[in-house]
Amino acid sequence: MPRMTQATASIRKRHGTTMSVVGPDHPAADAGKTLDVRDLNHTYSVNGKTTQALQDIAFNVSAGRFISIVGPSGCGKSSLLMMLAGLLTPSEGRIAVGGRPLVKPDPTRVGVVFQDASLFPWLTARRNVEFPLFLRGVAKAVRREKAEEALALVGLERFADSLPHELSGGMKQRVSIARGLVQDPPILLMDEPFAALDEQTRITMGDELLRIWEKARKTIVFVTHGLSEAIYLSDEVLVLSGRPGRILDRVAIDLPRPRSLDMMAQPRFADLREAIWHMIKA
Amino acid sequence: MATRDAVLGYGAAGAVFLALWEAAPRLGWMDGRLLPPFSDVVAALGAMAATATFWQQVQLTLLETLTAFAIALPVGALLGVLVQESRFASLIFKPLIFFVFSIPKSIFLPIFILILGIAFWQKVAFGVFSTVFIVMMTTFSAVESVREDQLRVARSLDASTMQKILFVYLPSMTPVLLEAVRVAMIFNFTGILLAEMYASREGIGNAIGVWGLGFQIKELLAMVLFVSVLAISFNEAIRYLEAKCEHWRN
Repeated sequence: MPRMTQATASIRKRHGTTMSVVGPDHPAADAGKTLDVRDLNHTYSVNGKTTQALQDIAFNVSAGRFISIVGPSGCGKSSLLMMLAGLLTPSEGRIAVGGRPLVKPDPTRVGVVFQDASLFPWLTARRNVEFPLFLRGVAKAVRREKAEEALALVGLERFADSLPHELSGGMKQRVSIARGLVQDPPILLMDEPFAALDEQTRITMGDELLRIWEKARKTIVFVTHGLSEAIYLSDEVLVLSGRPGRILDRVAIDLPRPRSLDMMAQPRFADLREAIWHMIKA
Repeated sequence: MATRDAVLGYGAAGAVFLALWEAAPRLGWMDGRLLPPFSDVVAALGAMAATATFWQQVQLTLLETLTAFAIALPVGALLGVLVQESRFASLIFKPLIFFVFSIPKSIFLPIFILILGIAFWQKVAFGVFSTVFIVMMTTFSAVESVREDQLRVARSLDASTMQKILFVYLPSMTPVLLEAVRVAMIFNFTGILLAEMYASREGIGNAIGVWGLGFQIKELLAMVLFVSVLAISFNEAIRYLEAKCEHWRN
């Protein structure tokens, strides 16, 4: 598959300079898959009571795909995303990004956008976007250039010097996306990023995200509880069951791109929504 | 401009207050022996400021105050962070700290004298004791003001512990910590002056006490004026810093 080969090459190119450890002892067989999750189980105990949160999660995502994870409240979809971000260690299983295992947060491989934009209120939009580079000691001029590029990508170049409290909810979330993209990671994880926004802003942000995605050519893993949102945005929807979260199905979304709002009124959209809804409800 | 109006307002209120102070004893509304006119008090302050004794007293009190402050602030802040960050320590020590904070510190002064005498370190110790609890309590809220979601962002960016402390905890906490500095100084200065008034042979507090007993109201009020200006200046300087550091809060 030419697409995968290309993806592998681009991942190698991106990481080859800093890390050249993709050797034979690494499970690089699936390097074509940007993201590879295998045999993942997760249990946690509170006050001696053990709960299984996730069960037998296995899936992979090819480069450049937009996939959403949906499921009932408490099914562990956010936990799963935190594991993909390296913020939570699964009890069992293996997560590989670009063919290399991910055991701790690595913002050069995985960018994360959280539900609340979680910007640092004392930093301007530009300095917030620069922050990941600042932590890695990147030179100021380079930092600035990359941050400006990322802000331009999300359409906020004119607001670079604004403080977060001067920005609207949607704008804050766009700054947060720019921060996630500033190190050019192949994967962007998004944890219900538009849940706190009003309906109208949410729809606008969806279109905005698709525009950014098409331009940046990233793999996006998007957690949401909105089925319409998931179908509208994604190539594929991963449906999780209630606790313990298992993968019920991977639903390919065969709606043409570019997506437009009137597709939501089409029978195909309604069928997909209906099918996913039934799975979750059952 | 709202600020200019406010400044004019303060100025006018201050002028009225001083005019009343000046007029009341001169017009016989108040006994001049109990309330000498403002101009007499200023003159007395001028005369005192020309003596070496005055500056020795001021120097000693300020040295005690700053020494106590230099101990209470870092100790209180460090203990505050440690207690707040540990669930176990929070559970055990937080109620105790709140209990102790609610007790008037002055009632322990005789015990401090019994243990430490009435010299420099007794004043410092009492100043620290008066201050350290309020610093700890303000630090609790400073640590609480650090938002979990911002720490998670730092973790997702693979920030080191040091980076988290310097670039997330510290900027988050700065406004509240400055407030701690301001409020702590009020407690600290009060503690030191009280200790000097109660039992001491020197210092500003001692001078005020002696003048009070000797019915030297002019000198007493001159010193009160001096201490007030000193305390207000410190307070306002920190408030100015607070406002500057707080611009990012709405």
